[in-house]
Amino acid sequence: MSAQVLGSTSFERPRWLRILEPLGPLAAAFALAALVLFAAGHNPIDVYTLLAVEAFGSSRRIAATLSAATPLILTGLATAVAFRAGAFNVGVEGCIFVGGLAAATVGFTFVGLPAALLLPLALVAAVLVGSLWMLVPGLLKARLDVDEVVTTLMLNFIAISLTAWLVNGPLLAPGSANSATPMIADAARLPKLMPPSTLNAGFLIAIALLGLYALWGNRTALGFETRLAGMNARFAAASGINVPMLVIKMMLLSGAIGGLAGGIHALGNVGRFVAGFSPGYGFTGIAVALLGRGSALGIFLAALLFGALANAGATIQFFSDVPIEIVDILQGTVMVFAVAQLGWIFVRRRASA
Amino acid sequence: MAITAATSALVSALGTTSALAQDKPVALIISQSGLGDQSYNDLAYEGFKRGLEATGLEGRPVESRDVVAQAAEILRRASDADFGLVIDLEYSHGEPMLEVAKDYPDTNYVILNQVREAPNVASVLFQEQEGSYLAGMLAALVTTDTSIKGITPEPIIGVIGGTKSAGIDKFIAGYVEGAKAANPDVVVKVAYSNNFADPAIGLQMTKAMFEEGVDIVYQVAGGTGMGVIQAAKEAGRYAIGVDTDQDGLAPGNVLTSMIKRTDVAVETLIKDYAAGNFPRGETTTFGLAEDGVGLSEMLHTKDLIPAEYLEKVEAAKQDILSGKIKVWNVVEQGYPDYLK
Repeated sequence: MSAQVLGSTSFERPRWLRILEPLGPLAAAFALAALVLFAAGHNPIDVYTLLAVEAFGSSRRIAATLSAATPLILTGLATAVAFRAGAFNVGVEGCIFVGGLAAATVGFTFVGLPAALLLPLALVAAVLVGSLWMLVPGLLKARLDVDEVVTTLMLNFIAISLTAWLVNGPLLAPGSANSATPMIADAARLPKLMPPSTLNAGFLIAIALLGLYALWGNRTALGFETRLAGMNARFAAASGINVPMLVIKMMLLSGAIGGLAGGIHALGNVGRFVAGFSPGYGFTGIAVALLGRGSALGIFLAALLFGALANAGATIQFFSDVPIEIVDILQGTVMVFAVAQLGWIFVRRRASA
Repeated sequence: MAITAATSALVSALGTTSALAQDKPVALIISQSGLGDQSYNDLAYEGFKRGLEATGLEGRPVESRDVVAQAAEILRRASDADFGLVIDLEYSHGEPMLEVAKDYPDTNYVILNQVREAPNVASVLFQEQEGSYLAGMLAALVTTDTSIKGITPEPIIGVIGGTKSAGIDKFIAGYVEGAKAANPDVVVKVAYSNNFADPAIGLQMTKAMFEEGVDIVYQVAGGTGMGVIQAAKEAGRYAIGVDTDQDGLAPGNVLTSMIKRTDVAVETLIKDYAAGNFPRGETTTFGLAEDGVGLSEMLHTKDLIPAEYLEKVEAAKQDILSGKIKVWNVVEQGYPDYLK
């Protein structure tokens, strides 16, 4: 009965197919990039081997890849949570900026506090600020049916400009020639997991949240209701679910995770808020959520892929003449193929509306 | 095993098996704006290529789309991969470099525009105040000469800084000092855009200055400064460029540019490294004397400016070189009275 009611084909397809499905776009992306590499005079097999070695070739390289994947797991998760309730939140990028600045500000302001107090305080600040950042688009979407794609996208620009202004003015580190806050106190630092790598406890937080997300989505009433509301809002409302409230809750949750992504990035890796804090983790997170099909394992693997590309894409330049643009093309092609799925989601949304 | 073999094969392909430290290859870490920025990175890369060619060393530029977060990972990878000299153009890499440098005592590092104290790190500073002094002097001489197109009789000039910080005020103080030296009655309007990447802000602020009677605006604001130059072009007045030769961006409306020769610094350090006298643990300053800063050739404006002004500027340059004039350095000396 449920498969019919939900109006989705995904339940009818065998599990193995659902797992293998994203591999098609990946293979296509790598094949296309191989052609570009070949045309540019590189041997694609050598380049891919080098990429694999730089991404996973030693424990140190794996740690670097996991470190690069950490913000992407969180932004992918933040996006997926909103997707699930039928809200297409593209404002996670802004949440990273405001959350990151909030955590850094707590981290360099209350320097006297012990780690047991300061670290949670800084993370909570990031979560709260990120969550609040999504309050208005959540309300507008739930109450007035204002398109969240527009509001959250616009909020990104505001977040980026607002943090840029703060970090150039009131929060600027004394004596710094570029836009950066002071370094956070050591007590505010997330512990490193495999020193000297930048891989830190933020990765464990991200993995734990992925686990909770899997449990929540599959085992709890709220998780089921959210999924229902995302698939067919009218049916969910008819079954007595308060859909607008659900959308607000999920937007706040999405913002909270986005803010946390920024907080963890500030406290675990960068150690401050600085110009160039996020190179677009929030946007890559959309691709991560789509490529991962909204499943916990899928999000992890997609984040791992983009993390590996970001990490190895930089360091292969020490050993080859492959410019960063080739990695951009590879990453971009994977995104295009992943986002091809987006059309499918919109078609489904329209069909159910 | 195969993986380790592949890595070591790649490393040896770079010719890094040699025993001498200064024969090991050189890495250039590109900053946020990336190669192709027609500014800081491209200029440094030119110097990098010249340095490699002159010394016969191997070397590679490395770009990352996530250069801020990957600081320590990239610096460590370069050090692990047996690069002997790592030149880092990214400003935010100062702290991570100290952390990495202590783990690789045999590797040499270079950081620009800041001082980082470690036995194997060389810091590079530019005497931007010296070049700015000359720019201020030229602006003050020109601003009252109404025979020049677009110049108003009032002795008012302007400067827009990207942010209120010692690093930027170092330029501004030099500019004001040079202007006052040429004409004690000159008024210098100082403003900050609090943004290095928004030409629209630069455009608006510059237009507002023009309305107050300013006819020449020096920009020390990165991408925001593109708006300053645009405003000068639109209003038929003058901008002064910074960092690279920006005279060609609006030919005839950019009076001159205060060039920071990052290329000279990079090239010099590579040559020093190859020759075995790399300034480990030292701060090297590049000023007028080292050809590290200076005014552009003024290809498009030289014919507009009366020769006597250019001669005065040249004389001031000689006085700075001979030590007769010592231009105020905000970073070392704090703020002067005229710029509190």
